[in-house]
Amino acid sequence: MRQLPFEYAYRNLGRSRVRLFASLLGSGLVVLLVLAAAGFIRGMQLTLAQQDTLHENVVILGAGSEESIERSQIHASVAGIAAASIAGLREAAGVTFVSPEIHTALPVWASADDDQVRHAMMRGVRPVALLVHSEVEIVDGRPPRAGFDELMVGGIASTRLGLADERLAVGRTLYFDNRDWTIVGRFSAPNTVMDAEIWLPITDLQIATRRESSLSCVVVTLDTATFADVDIFAKSRLDLEIIAIGERDYYRSIAAFYRPIRIMIIVTAALIAIGGLLGGLNTMYAAFAARVREIGLLQTLGYTRGAIVLNLTEESVFTAACGAIAGAAMGLLFLDGIAIRFSMGAFAITVDAPVMLTALAGGLLVGFVGAIAPAARCLRMPITEALKAH
Amino acid sequence: MNLIECRNLTREYHKADTVIRPLDGVDLDVERGEFLALMGPSGSGKTTLLNLIAGIDAPTAGTIVVDGVDITRLSRNRLAAWRSVHVGYVFQLYNLIPVLTAFENVELPLLLQKLSRRERRARTGNALEAVGIADRADHFPRQLSGGQEQRVAIARAIVTDPTIIVADEPTGDLDRPAADDIMNLLTRLNEESHRTILLVTHDPQTAGHADRVIRLDKGRFVSDRRPESVAEAPA
Ligand SMILES: Nc1ncnc2c1ncn2[C@@H]1O[C@H](COP(=O)(O)OP(=O)(O)OP(=O)(O)O)[C@@H](O)[C@H]1O
Ligand SMILES: [Mg+2]
Repeated sequence: MRQLPFEYAYRNLGRSRVRLFASLLGSGLVVLLVLAAAGFIRGMQLTLAQQDTLHENVVILGAGSEESIERSQIHASVAGIAAASIAGLREAAGVTFVSPEIHTALPVWASADDDQVRHAMMRGVRPVALLVHSEVEIVDGRPPRAGFDELMVGGIASTRLGLADERLAVGRTLYFDNRDWTIVGRFSAPNTVMDAEIWLPITDLQIATRRESSLSCVVVTLDTATFADVDIFAKSRLDLEIIAIGERDYYRSIAAFYRPIRIMIIVTAALIAIGGLLGGLNTMYAAFAARVREIGLLQTLGYTRGAIVLNLTEESVFTAACGAIAGAAMGLLFLDGIAIRFSMGAFAITVDAPVMLTALAGGLLVGFVGAIAPAARCLRMPITEALKAH
Repeated sequence: MNLIECRNLTREYHKADTVIRPLDGVDLDVERGEFLALMGPSGSGKTTLLNLIAGIDAPTAGTIVVDGVDITRLSRNRLAAWRSVHVGYVFQLYNLIPVLTAFENVELPLLLQKLSRRERRARTGNALEAVGIADRADHFPRQLSGGQEQRVAIARAIVTDPTIIVADEPTGDLDRPAADDIMNLLTRLNEESHRTILLVTHDPQTAGHADRVIRLDKGRFVSDRRPESVAEAPA
């Protein structure tokens, strides 16, 4: 099949600035949108999927609270009993990797005279938590000391609180439980729910929440022990009313809880993208319809329908590709890393290679589908009729 | 042997219950090198006949043999390839592509043939030369007058050295002097380069350039004559 020169497709772009602009904008927006939706889902996925950590953690929490650590209440003694009863937990320098924790959402204020309530995800911990949660890395300052009203904040905790990041710099304060708390450290735990949290000594949080003798959970790190060992411990201590659940399984079940939101985002994005596609179809149809006589001429000269469709598609895909690249560049610039908060915590929109590829493919698809259907419609017309069009 | 032989050529359109028959079983023989004019009232089937011979329409019945090939039996793609080699079409409204220069418009049909770039450019140049518009090669159609556009369109029709040139009212949109120019050009192409030309026209003066004039009415031939001046010219 002899093809029409790409030059011809390229020059046809110049025919209508308005259409060129509309096409560029259309594919650019579709790419941006797919980028946002896919990046959002990707960020959520990465946060909740808890990438494989170095060690395997098991969470011990109150029976009946499997779906929410915040709601769980277990006796403070569980940590000590677990450390003593379960053999084969990880140890280092005489410390057993058993982390008693309180997870709770608390209202906080930027300062005493701030009247906007903000909901913080708080985690009360002992120093051992930094060993158990090996993803957590202190990037600024130091861990808080018990009894000094100190705390440390995660990388995207500011988003969770709706505050500027500088507002949570080391040395600044937050107000809750009728007093100021000083931020003495910042940690980062990318793509985990912890990144949105505020950590403080467990005893301080116990006092602030008036739950002196109870914990939310105990997180243990396995060494030679297996999940079954922890599970048997939990099941055999009926008096403690506890159950064991793998940390990864826990987040997987939360991810499942958010599936409807994810589906809603995908559906919304798909609907808007389809709108963009229809808009694209419309502009291309108008553009090709205006050229029906020319298409008739090309056929009269001996160009096959295939060659003509190819050329029209080239024209459309080329435009879409330009728009897609612009949209992708804007997405990388403005979307990547934007933190989003949701009831559980917060996560960052993640524009990585798979997300980028999906978005670019979406943009090109707009160009392709946008051309094929209108081109086919124009070419179905008999040549003699096409030559009469004006 | 005749270059073109049409037998029982019929074209029908079916609309609801009615059948429109713009061409009703005509037979036509055209010799190589002949300059044939088709005349007749509007709607008599002139364009229909021309389009069938040019291979851009298919008859409801009958055969069209051009240079020994029955083109009614060719597949769509083969017919397209056949057109690119054998037919040069000149339209009333020129049909130049607005985004291409005069040169590129003329070059367009040659892109369908296996030619070196060099040869393609040479042939395009020659065709523009032949229609006397080489000095406007770099102009876009919007920068040309109607007469000049039609010259470019004729250059495009002859550049592939086709077996037949078909022209559907090529002077219909031009004033007298421009029309005379175009007709003189076609006549010269017929006389000097022995090109076979089929021309549709309403204008007797334009038809006067042809060797032979066929009149159609309601899809049938009503007369077929050779004007005295050129009556004995074709063998
Ligand atoms: N696609 C079509 N569908 C139905 N009828 C058609 C179609 N194309 C042409 N016709 C009919 O065929 C008849 C002949 O048309 P044609 O174009 O061949 O006429 P013509 O002799 O070239 O006329 P004119 O001098 O006005 O160009 C007309 O009556 C026209 O209505
Ligand atoms: Mg006509």
